[in-house]
Amino acid sequence: MQQTLWAVNMAVGVFLLLSLAIRKAYRAFPAFSLYIAVNLVSGTSAFFLYRGWGFSSAPSIRIAWGMQAVVMFARALAVAEVCKHALARYRGVWALAWRALLSCAGIVLVYSSLAARRQWEHFLPNADRGLELSISAVLVTLLAFTRYYEVRVNSTDRWLATGFCLYSCFVALNNTILEHYLYKYVALWNFLQMLAFLGSLLLWAWALRKPQTEAGPAETLLPAGVYQAVAPQVNLRLHLLNEHLGQFWKTEATRN
Amino acid sequence: MNLPLFLFFGIVAVLLLVLGWALWKPPERGKLRGDPRSFDEDGRRHVTYLPQIRQALAKADFKFLRERASDKVQQRVRRERRGVALAYMDALRGDFQSLLRMARVIAVLSPEVAAVQEFERLRLTAKFSWQYQMIRWKLMAGFATLPQLDGLSNLVSGLSVRMEAAMKELGERAALAAELASSMNRRGLGAV
Repeated sequence: MQQTLWAVNMAVGVFLLLSLAIRKAYRAFPAFSLYIAVNLVSGTSAFFLYRGWGFSSAPSIRIAWGMQAVVMFARALAVAEVCKHALARYRGVWALAWRALLSCAGIVLVYSSLAARRQWEHFLPNADRGLELSISAVLVTLLAFTRYYEVRVNSTDRWLATGFCLYSCFVALNNTILEHYLYKYVALWNFLQMLAFLGSLLLWAWALRKPQTEAGPAETLLPAGVYQAVAPQVNLRLHLLNEHLGQFWKTEATRN
Repeated sequence: MNLPLFLFFGIVAVLLLVLGWALWKPPERGKLRGDPRSFDEDGRRHVTYLPQIRQALAKADFKFLRERASDKVQQRVRRERRGVALAYMDALRGDFQSLLRMARVIAVLSPEVAAVQEFERLRLTAKFSWQYQMIRWKLMAGFATLPQLDGLSNLVSGLSVRMEAAMKELGERAALAAELASSMNRRGLGAV
């Protein structure tokens, strides 16, 4: 069953990579294309590795986790690319967003490390879970940013981000369960992870079904002075309004 | 099952909820990015009716009714006027949100954005929403009096006036960009 699913995953991966090449979408998404390619290479290597040394042998585990680190790095690049696509046209907000996204990733990573302390036997799954949670947090923050500022995000970018986010959330949960039921759960863990990845692959293939342009048209920006003049005034007005409402609330409370 | 397990499930649940919110598209969203020149009209729509609302909710009217009308009529008038006040509060909130949206558009289209100002606006907006809801519930329950709405309206209208200049500039720039794009297309220099 696992091998069938592995073969399906590989086939969908190859199909996605080919469609990226045929539609020349690799120009718009070079890091994403690299991630899919790295993933295919890693999947193929893992297959031969497990066939040669077995699933639970020490060399297999070491090499598999090493490849996982490379895949994670490629995924981080692909996620950064999606973030840049969504917001980089808006220079001011992008400068704010990338700092917020990095801080968010850092906080989640530190939290995950602290939550997993004293469990050195599960170091790799814990580190993997921390990174997956960071990726989800970054993507959710990115989409929340675009929603808050009402920035129109290309639907391909939105679905790529959703695919990454759902997969990362699932892997984080899967690793958390693995930590508790290690030996009983390991086969199911691997199967569910492959199933989740297949779901993301299908979502990405659907998102990339149309030809992609390299970058959106540049936005016409306002002079810097406009924001500097308006933003403090808006905040002052809001502050006064809140004070006014606060006073009203107090008066009513006293009266009652 | 232990605490870290619940915490991680909780974090993922929160992330998925925020993801759902971020992906959910409210019906009026598309309108905002359409024509920047329509913003300033939008921001002044309801506050201009404040004198009429005040007239309709004047204490003198209630006094007059108390002297001449039956209890039943007085109750009906109170109910209808509360409805008017609530509708006005809703409209005012709409005006306010429209102004906030304008502020966001200015932030998005600015080459530099101050994090302090943005986070402060987020905090103040959350506070406003909370206090607005409290007043609204009080009005619905019949506890709140109406003159307090004056200050709320003045603040919104003052903000609208200051926004006008910024929006005018945005409109001019958008028109300039459209003109540039169309002249590029005419010369065949547009993006392929």
